[in-house]
Amino acid sequence: MRRPIFGALMAVWMLLAAGSGWAHHSPSSIFDMSKKITLTGTLTQVEWVNPHIAVYIDTKKADGGVENWKFESAPPSWLRRVGVTSGQFKNAVGQMVTVEGNRAKDGSLYGFLQKITFADGTSLEMVNPNAVDSR
Amino acid sequence: MRHALVLLTAATLLAIPAPAQQNATSAAATVPHAIGGHPDLSGIWQYSIDLPGVALKKQVNGSVEIKKVDLSGRRPAKTPVPGALPFTAAPSYKPEFQAKVKYLFDNEAKLDKVFFCGKPGVPRIGSPRQIIQLPNEMIFLYEDMSGDPYRVIPTDGRAHRVDAEPSYYGDSIGRWEGDTLVVESINFVDDTWFGEGGYFHTTAMRVTERLWKVGDNLAYQVTVDDPNVLTEPWTEAPRLVKPSDDGPQESPACIEDDSKRMLNLDHHGQR
Repeated sequence: MRRPIFGALMAVWMLLAAGSGWAHHSPSSIFDMSKKITLTGTLTQVEWVNPHIAVYIDTKKADGGVENWKFESAPPSWLRRVGVTSGQFKNAVGQMVTVEGNRAKDGSLYGFLQKITFADGTSLEMVNPNAVDSR
Repeated sequence: MRHALVLLTAATLLAIPAPAQQNATSAAATVPHAIGGHPDLSGIWQYSIDLPGVALKKQVNGSVEIKKVDLSGRRPAKTPVPGALPFTAAPSYKPEFQAKVKYLFDNEAKLDKVFFCGKPGVPRIGSPRQIIQLPNEMIFLYEDMSGDPYRVIPTDGRAHRVDAEPSYYGDSIGRWEGDTLVVESINFVDDTWFGEGGYFHTTAMRVTERLWKVGDNLAYQVTVDDPNVLTEPWTEAPRLVKPSDDGPQESPACIEDDSKRMLNLDHHGQR
């Protein structure tokens, strides 16, 4: 039985916010948790920094223009302990990726990344561990 | 000489409080001892800074892998810890400071400097990631996003330094009480919190950390005293930290970028 998307996102965010020193605010204070966005574009830059890593993605608009998005994600210390290295992201710079997450409420090209799918089809996604068995 | 050692050992055991003796007696048969006859606390210990409680779902060529992080070293132990002191859930502030604590907690998302790459200090940094045990001193290594601090803690009976500047990790000296290492720290700056929830303190804060072995695990328990603001010393719940084969690594730089986008002060209690 899958949870509705909103419920699942909130559950993940509640768990993210349980961390200390890096996920300190309520998700709803920055991001629109009622909507999930999916973007495909070129990964242009990776910042492997605390308290959240960040990825930059160039997406093409309908009019041919380019938008440069920034998505923050988990802290490096968490990613390291689930077996994800900066190299996996940095090796993908210049390639097409698809990201799923939530956009900042302030309307800027800023979001929270919950899932990224690389050009070779490999995907990394933050999920609620309590819901893993039903996924 | 041998008689002198026996007498010294007996005198040491007689000198320590009863609970510590019980701990020492029950643990002595199983805990490996290091130089000087003290328990060997050295080694790499589980990462005990809080991390997200989420899991990673990785899909490669159709196969799915789920990975989680063991956060137990940061949480109160789920079962009674032999040798632990009695503890309470929260510190007791003097009545005139309770409103300030509430204000700080309510505004934690903006005011807690740890959220903005600030140093957590002692005791908020938690248990050490690695302990190097020498005959006359203990070296504690940590990993933290604000930097990777270390502490050199003399255990040779010397007093606190009188010439040290106030600092986030304080001035520490250690001693053995039976099989428990007791680390006393003073001389702190006053711009850290000793716990989330707005637990501010003054420069009079004194922190006592107790570390001992329970089987293969490291038990860690903290007592905080600040007579300027607390009605009594606060002893936190003990933690049990597992050994690890994942040694400390340098933490990436800390560059906080999202707080400017916050539209309100909503936040979550974290521990």
